[in-house]
Amino acid sequence: MSERQDWPTAEDIARVREAAERPLPLEEFLAWINTPMSEEEEAEALSLINWFMRRYPTPAERLAYARRMTRHWPR
Amino acid sequence: MHAGLVEEEELFRAVQRSGTRALLIGRRALIMLGLPVATFDYDFWIHIDDAERLNQALEPLGLVPNRSPEEARRFGRYVLENDTRVDVMVARVVPTVDGQRVAWEDVWERRVSLEAVPGIPVAIPCVDDLIATKRFGARAKDANDIQLLQVLQKRGTS
Repeated sequence: MSERQDWPTAEDIARVREAAERPLPLEEFLAWINTPMSEEEEAEALSLINWFMRRYPTPAERLAYARRMTRHWPR
Repeated sequence: MHAGLVEEEELFRAVQRSGTRALLIGRRALIMLGLPVATFDYDFWIHIDDAERLNQALEPLGLVPNRSPEEARRFGRYVLENDTRVDVMVARVVPTVDGQRVAWEDVWERRVSLEAVPGIPVAIPCVDDLIATKRFGARAKDANDIQLLQVLQKRGTS
């Protein structure tokens, strides 16, 4: 299969994974989860969730979408 | 025997048919509930007595455990892997980073059943319990996921 230009590279994946999986100091973690999102952030998150649930109404469709998205990403 | 990536449908079907008391946790559970996040892995929290059963069910898919069931129970977790990675927790109780004790039995009692593939139900924790499981570690993605779960909770899951 040909490689699509908009797929992340192995380096992109590694960089995002490293940032996402890094352990935070406890105080930083608790501060993060105890600080409410701004109205703007919350509206943006809600908009994404609404889109995702409207586009993929069932849990099975959502999983299938996620699977398709990551299937060809480099690991 | 399969090599490489395991088909998701086969994975969920094998878990269901085995009778393993398994809760799908982690980002796949979030995705099922409606959060558009990405993941490569599968995360399960199973009953402490069911590791052998799960291993037997996934062996035909080429998934190999990195610890014996006895070791897994001692460590509280293990991994089944080929090119697909399945993280498995086997502890009766897991503490959150801030000291709350989360018991598998309680989470199982409050579980929600959703179809992962048409005709194949998968048990996932309720949203409150998923938030608790996201406090087992203190990673940046867990903090982010907790905030998204809270938005979902406000919105409602249907």
